Amino acid sequence: MQLNKSQEWHWFKGGILVSLLSVATYFIFSAIAQRNYPFGITAGFGYIAATLGNLLGGMNENPVIKRFGEKPDAFIELFILIGLVIGGYAASKISKTFFPELLPAMWEKYHGPSIIKRYLFVLFGSIALGFGAALSAGCTTGNILQGWALLSLGSLVAGICFFVAGIATAKFLYPNVGGKHDTH
Amino acid sequence: MILINITFGLVVGFLFGYILTRTGITKYPRVMGMLLLQDFKILKFMLTAITSSMIIFYALGDLGLITLTMKNLDWGKPVGGLIFGMGMAILGYCPGTIAARIGEGKTESILAVFGTALGIFIYALLIKPIKALLLSSEINGNMSILFGINHWFIVIPIALVFLIIIYLVNRKFHDD
Repeated sequence: MQLNKSQEWHWFKGGILVSLLSVATYFIFSAIAQRNYPFGITAGFGYIAATLGNLLGGMNENPVIKRFGEKPDAFIELFILIGLVIGGYAASKISKTFFPELLPAMWEKYHGPSIIKRYLFVLFGSIALGFGAALSAGCTTGNILQGWALLSLGSLVAGICFFVAGIATAKFLYPNVGGKHDTH
Repeated sequence: MILINITFGLVVGFLFGYILTRTGITKYPRVMGMLLLQDFKILKFMLTAITSSMIIFYALGDLGLITLTMKNLDWGKPVGGLIFGMGMAILGYCPGTIAARIGEGKTESILAVFGTALGIFIYALLIKPIKALLLSSEINGNMSILFGINHWFIVIPIALVFLIIIYLVNRKFHDD
């Protein structure tokens, strides 16, 4: 897969902009939701899980369903999720990188074109992602972007574990990926 | 009130998604390239963002403009972190990028939304044993209180370490 670098922003520009957004969001969040707590993306997915729990019934007393179903916190984060979809669409259209794709080209190159195989991995991987994010109280945004910046001990440990397990699993999935050019 | 919440959420999400996609952070080969230690753009992007926001957070905190809240350390953090990391490598992206990638036209991300929500739902079903096993005791997450030193004695060394890592990695890998 070829990445046309000229279409992308420099990492420094992106990093500074995300840091300003991150601080501004934390600041405004505490004003709107009256809570001083790192924001994250997990709660948006949590809202969907809570909706599922409430639909099925009998989970009204479940503390996780209660917490994620709470308005306005989780509600804001649900709309952050929707905003992310629109933002990704706008950015990819403007930089002309929008293209429909059933599975990543790099995956296809090493693991074959089977959609079913890839989608089983996607399902398993995302269930682990959701479960792990709920258990470690945050995802990459909450635990690393905000948690590391706030120097939370819990987030530092969680973030280091993200990378340890991520690197080990990636090496297991792609043992033969050699030079740098393979991933480009 | 609810309208403010919706607007705020949409604007934050839009800007976040726009920056992530525009910087190329959402691409599958980039995420895998980072985990395979071959493409360091995401690392440089993350460390830049963390260093910058860390300094702003603590400066605003000193001015009394915001209250900083830290996450405590319990067994859920390392155990959940390892499960999350495994999932991130199998999937090829994290929760924020799942959503942005739907906007980029990547079909598999739609399935990942349901998978992630399902993972949280399973967590909710198992919350009783998890609480007893992993979340029963915790350590204060505020390191300046924990170690009894002024926070700038932690902020400045960590900022320097991050800047040195960015510099060294960037000298070796020019993936801008």
